[in-house]
Amino acid sequence: MAARANGRRPWTFYVLATVFTLFVLFLYGPMACIYILSFQGPNGGLTFPLNGVSTRWFGALFYQERTGDIAGAFSRSIPLAVIVLTLTVIFSVMAGLAFRRRFMGATLIFYVAVASLIVPGLVLSVGIGLGFQMLGIPPRWYSSALGAHLSWTLPFGLLIMFAVFSRLSPSYEEAARDLGASSWQSLRRVVIPIVLPGIIGVALFGFTLSYDEFPRSWVTVGPSNTLPLEIWGMTTNITSPALYALGTVTTAISFIVIAVSLVSIAIIQLHRTRRRVARERAMQTES
Amino acid sequence: MRRPGEIELVNCTKLFGETVAVNGISLRILAGTYCCLLGPSGCGKTTILRMIAGHETPTSGEVRIDGINVVGLPPVRRGTAMMFQDYALFPHLTCLDNVAFSLEMSGVGKAARRERAREMLARVQMAHFADRVPAQLSGGQKQRVALARALITNPRVLLLDEPLSALDEFLRLQMRGELRRMQRDLGITFIHVTHTQQEAIALADLVVVMNQGNIEQVASARDVYAVPLTAYVARFMGGQNVLEGRVSAVMDGMVALALPDHGRAEFPARDSVPPTGSTVNISVRRDRIHLAKRTGDGNADSINAVNGKVVAVEYQGGWVKVTLGGNGGDDFVVNLPDGEFFADPVNAGDTVRAHWAASDVHLLISRNGRSDRPYATGQN
Repeated sequence: MAARANGRRPWTFYVLATVFTLFVLFLYGPMACIYILSFQGPNGGLTFPLNGVSTRWFGALFYQERTGDIAGAFSRSIPLAVIVLTLTVIFSVMAGLAFRRRFMGATLIFYVAVASLIVPGLVLSVGIGLGFQMLGIPPRWYSSALGAHLSWTLPFGLLIMFAVFSRLSPSYEEAARDLGASSWQSLRRVVIPIVLPGIIGVALFGFTLSYDEFPRSWVTVGPSNTLPLEIWGMTTNITSPALYALGTVTTAISFIVIAVSLVSIAIIQLHRTRRRVARERAMQTES
Repeated sequence: MRRPGEIELVNCTKLFGETVAVNGISLRILAGTYCCLLGPSGCGKTTILRMIAGHETPTSGEVRIDGINVVGLPPVRRGTAMMFQDYALFPHLTCLDNVAFSLEMSGVGKAARRERAREMLARVQMAHFADRVPAQLSGGQKQRVALARALITNPRVLLLDEPLSALDEFLRLQMRGELRRMQRDLGITFIHVTHTQQEAIALADLVVVMNQGNIEQVASARDVYAVPLTAYVARFMGGQNVLEGRVSAVMDGMVALALPDHGRAEFPARDSVPPTGSTVNISVRRDRIHLAKRTGDGNADSINAVNGKVVAVEYQGGWVKVTLGGNGGDDFVVNLPDGEFFADPVNAGDTVRAHWAASDVHLLISRNGRSDRPYATGQN
């Protein structure tokens, strides 16, 4: 602010602005290259320059050629992420509510739950894989990999819900009780609506952590790969721009998930405002 | 029929771990009373309120409403309604739906409950704000909505936890008047927790002064202020000087007390006569004391008087607050009407004699084992 007084910025501004620009270039530059190259022409290679423009490589994704089973990987990764999202939300919210009251062994349970955050993912993956083998259960994406993903998303979800609930004044629940609400009514009509933005945050986290998870899927996924494993496999054996098209599509899906959640929040809010405006109009015409 | 809303606490104790929040108190509040629970923070007043509301369960003892022990009953079956300190209005609901909340919980249809909520909002002059959410309201408006939300349950008892503490001075005075008017109109029992002495005596029919989980005095506003029972109450209510002295003689119905600095007090013994040689506290109202500049010896007439040096003079508008130092324990404060002060003003540094009539001396009782100082510094 002091620098603004004479209309000039201090030299540190230019240094920090340069660092930030380099950071942004480093972050988005390579990704932008991949997105552009995914529109490579039919006879183009893996590098610049573009040899014509086409969407051929996107089409290639959906045939099980020697490129790998991309469509199949999607059809496993997305349902898996949705199941993880759902379970993470349910368990994190319930655990968050439980931890609002002190109970016997709360601290121990908390540490046990959070410890899996610091266990290396690959080790955990191998452990779960071995465990299933010993029990004679074949590992699958919907059983062993699901468990491995939850070991990652549940502690995250729990920590987020801790932060969310710590900002929720207990007097809301007391007021609800005072006004005759049962525990269930208080939860449904007061607590959940107030912490809803936090719950959406947990849901997004659960989805992206699972959709993106590599190390915990590695040994646990069984015979059919999830998307990150499939991409990894492809990098070792294919050399067509289909690889880039895949990168573009997976990124697009991540963005769509985020956009859908943001838009749905916006729609809910718009809906509320509309209702309010309509009510105000009705009141004005009454009086 | 007797009016409903009588509260009785019987030997109520509340422990939080090792801490005694409320220490075996018994208290009876008649129906239709405006009662203030008064005390510094941590004295247990909010805990009492929450035990009556059903948000806290007494460790032992009973809470009776209209003669029925309500311990273990949910708030809604007690006929109480509580207004929370931060109002606790639900941020995602409009004022109308906040007020209609209890009707919604009991299954009243949408149209009917909104109709009644609208009436209740009109009653607190908030009809125009029905469709706003709490974030769009000022502090005073939130309070009105919170009041409407509590009153729509038709409570026998309204419990108010520091209802005015979040408001600025002007609104505080305005809302204070409205609370009192509302209580008179409804005729139900109001129990109001506050740490502000002025608020309590301005509002209450009955003031309960609390000290570390104990009740120090239960009396009308006027009695708590003018005839405090203990040194703690006298100091907490303000408006009093508390002096400690040793009883040197009791004769002809007069008690003689030796004060520090060679001062003496003499006053008529009333109900209880303290034994000679015992140490007692007396109080003298700050506005019943006169000042004289000390000239020469001045020891000639030192009965019911203290000598001291003026350490501060504060103009208060209608009166002037003169503080004397050098009397051991507490500062000695004299509130002089501005006319009397300016007829013969004193300045900081002057040596003066403060004197009072024997009939203005009030003997305080002592409660063994309890602090007689409401604040660590002992000053107010």
